[in-house]
Amino acid sequence: MYSIIVVPPPTTEDERDLSQIRLAPGERLTFGRSAHDNDLRITHDGVSRRAGEITAQGAFWILSNLSREQTYVVENPEGAGEHVKIAPGRLDAPIPFEFSRIVLPAAGDLLALQVWAPRHDYLSGTGGLDGATTAPAFSLDRTKRYFAVLAALCEPRLRGTPHAPLPTVDQVADRLRPTWPAASRTSVQWNIDYLAVKLRLKPGPESADTGPRLNGKKESLVSLALRFDLVREDDLAVLASRSSGRVPR
Amino acid sequence: MTEPYAVAVPKGYRVGVWEVREPLATGAFGSVYAARRTAESTELPRTAALKFLPTGTATPRRLTHLRELVEREVELYRRLKQPRLVRMYETLTVDDPDRPELDGATVLVLERAEGSLSALLTAEPRPEAGPALLAQICEGLAQLHGAGWVHGDLKPANVLLMDDGSVRLADFNMAAELEGTHAYTPAFSTPDYTPPELLWTEIGERGRRIRPSADVWAFGVLAHLVLTDSFPLPGGTPTARRDAAAAYARGTDELRLSPELPDDWRQIISACLTRTHQDRVCGEALLDRVRAAAGTGHRSFRLPRLRPAHRRSRRIAVLAAGAALAALGYGITTWTGPGDDGGSKAGETRKVTPATYGASELRTDKGVPVAYRRLIVDSAHDCVQPEITPALIAAMLKVESDFDPDLSDPDAGEEGEYGIARWTPSILRWWIRADGVPAKETPRPPLTPSESIPAMARYLCFAEPRLEAGLSGDRRVLVAAAYRTSYKSVNNAGGVPPKYRDYAARVAHYLKEYTPAVKK
Repeated sequence: MYSIIVVPPPTTEDERDLSQIRLAPGERLTFGRSAHDNDLRITHDGVSRRAGEITAQGAFWILSNLSREQTYVVENPEGAGEHVKIAPGRLDAPIPFEFSRIVLPAAGDLLALQVWAPRHDYLSGTGGLDGATTAPAFSLDRTKRYFAVLAALCEPRLRGTPHAPLPTVDQVADRLRPTWPAASRTSVQWNIDYLAVKLRLKPGPESADTGPRLNGKKESLVSLALRFDLVREDDLAVLASRSSGRVPR
Repeated sequence: MTEPYAVAVPKGYRVGVWEVREPLATGAFGSVYAARRTAESTELPRTAALKFLPTGTATPRRLTHLRELVEREVELYRRLKQPRLVRMYETLTVDDPDRPELDGATVLVLERAEGSLSALLTAEPRPEAGPALLAQICEGLAQLHGAGWVHGDLKPANVLLMDDGSVRLADFNMAAELEGTHAYTPAFSTPDYTPPELLWTEIGERGRRIRPSADVWAFGVLAHLVLTDSFPLPGGTPTARRDAAAAYARGTDELRLSPELPDDWRQIISACLTRTHQDRVCGEALLDRVRAAAGTGHRSFRLPRLRPAHRRSRRIAVLAAGAALAALGYGITTWTGPGDDGGSKAGETRKVTPATYGASELRTDKGVPVAYRRLIVDSAHDCVQPEITPALIAAMLKVESDFDPDLSDPDAGEEGEYGIARWTPSILRWWIRADGVPAKETPRPPLTPSESIPAMARYLCFAEPRLEAGLSGDRRVLVAAAYRTSYKSVNNAGGVPPKYRDYAARVAHYLKEYTPAVKK
């Protein structure tokens, strides 16, 4: 029932520590250098003892800056420089981004704490906001990169070959590079992992221990997306125009 | 109605034998239109509601999941025929290449309703008949759950009110058949009626897992709304209420129901809105409690009509005529003594029935055994059809068996007829349970009056609205004839079939005899 995910900055002992902290609406997470008062300890001398507090508030979250002197910047990594500044002492500032990076200025280093808000709601179909309309359980932002990744994964099957093999992560990166020059194997894989969280994919029994196999996850994402029409043929327009001459539309 | 129609169908459009009339409602997936039958038919009613679902290959929204939703709904309608579920008469596919937007659309021909609970609540928040409506909604849920299905999208817009004021559940796009303890439904939901465990739940490739307890939660929300005109969880927007539900389920907040709720309903709603699905009351137990709270076992209730019924005037005329005749013999009332005439067979509970029970509707001086008065009167009151009166049931019992609880006629029909109401056991099986679910096994004779009489009332209540409007004769006698044969044979014959004229005449005779002169 969580709505917010906090990804702590990589620690020096374990660079690939991908532990995530999940917050349900109303739950708080305090962070800072002190081990006693905080739910999340950030071991860096430049960070305040009690640095701040993140509270999940429905589908979005609010940030309190508990430091005395430092301004925190919350960046939207996909927002072309979009950011929010939180002055020292500011309490409960709402953060509107789906992806955020809280940058903590720490004695010359910049420590990034990531916060995801995968439950943002979007208007669907003819429904209004009255809460009495049957609404789909998924909400995707069609302008985000994860949507382009999902579209690229679904593309071969949407183009009319129902059992076409799925593209590999490298193929997806190549496919997306015209519109997203920085696309790489890592960034595509990150988006696939995020989609699995976002679409609340039930981990299959075979992938319970997270080995290097990721085919299962891609396969599940594509079958879910096609089954519930999360990506339709029209949506392939978000991909680069490379193959658009081939497809009459 | 400001929403655009999901499927636009022009007035006068023909599909099968149906001519499309005015639009009735639209949902996220399809649109519903009124329709009237243009050709002769013995099977189909004169009017129906047509649900158009845009499944055509050329529709702009080429949605694969829509087909799946339609298949679910059709499958449920094919397999479940229950008194509290809307009936489907047939399915059609539009074949009209000139209208690509309609071509290939699936049309479900459904029972025509007068309106929905959501329309009633808009017109009349906190309707007086609320508890009775809730009892019927709960019966519908029990029928669905009993048959092994989950509704998945119970809300006021999916509760239909029929011409006679009774309730039917509809809209089974999200319904799913149980596989063990849970079912898989498409990943759609209506936020205000979604239980907390399904908020942002994990979704597998087959959709999300849902249990009957999800419908129980939705029933709790709906009951609170009907009785107090407010949602049980605080918040001005669906999002705020969703967060409140999440906080409640996490245990960080308590459930604070409206202080306006009567105690019995407060307990029922609390039992529906528990934090976890394991603690939620289950269908059967819920139905018992709702029935007790609604008082449907003791009191007669009349559900609200959204439109004045056209049949009522005729009924009053019939009653007035009966009253005039009955008045001749009135005034010589002889009170029969309290139940000393073989009352032990009346029911296992051996209630002491006052000899005057229901005296305003069933005469006390015409030989109706006192032991059966309560059963007869209560069974008639359980039916919302005004035609099903205690006097009618008593008259039919008189003609069927002369009130003989031990009647045994093994040679009648293929398997014989038994008991005070002359039930054929394999047919009784469909009517013996109060919740409308068929019994698991065919009951075996002897059939007790406490089984036979309520079942008879249930059958009559079911058959009455299915008799066509233009039949000749007293509708109470017609429905009695339908009990002897079937409502279809009565419709086909345009009245009492010749073979059963004698039976009908005897029912009419006793009906007149048992009806008191003045109705309170």
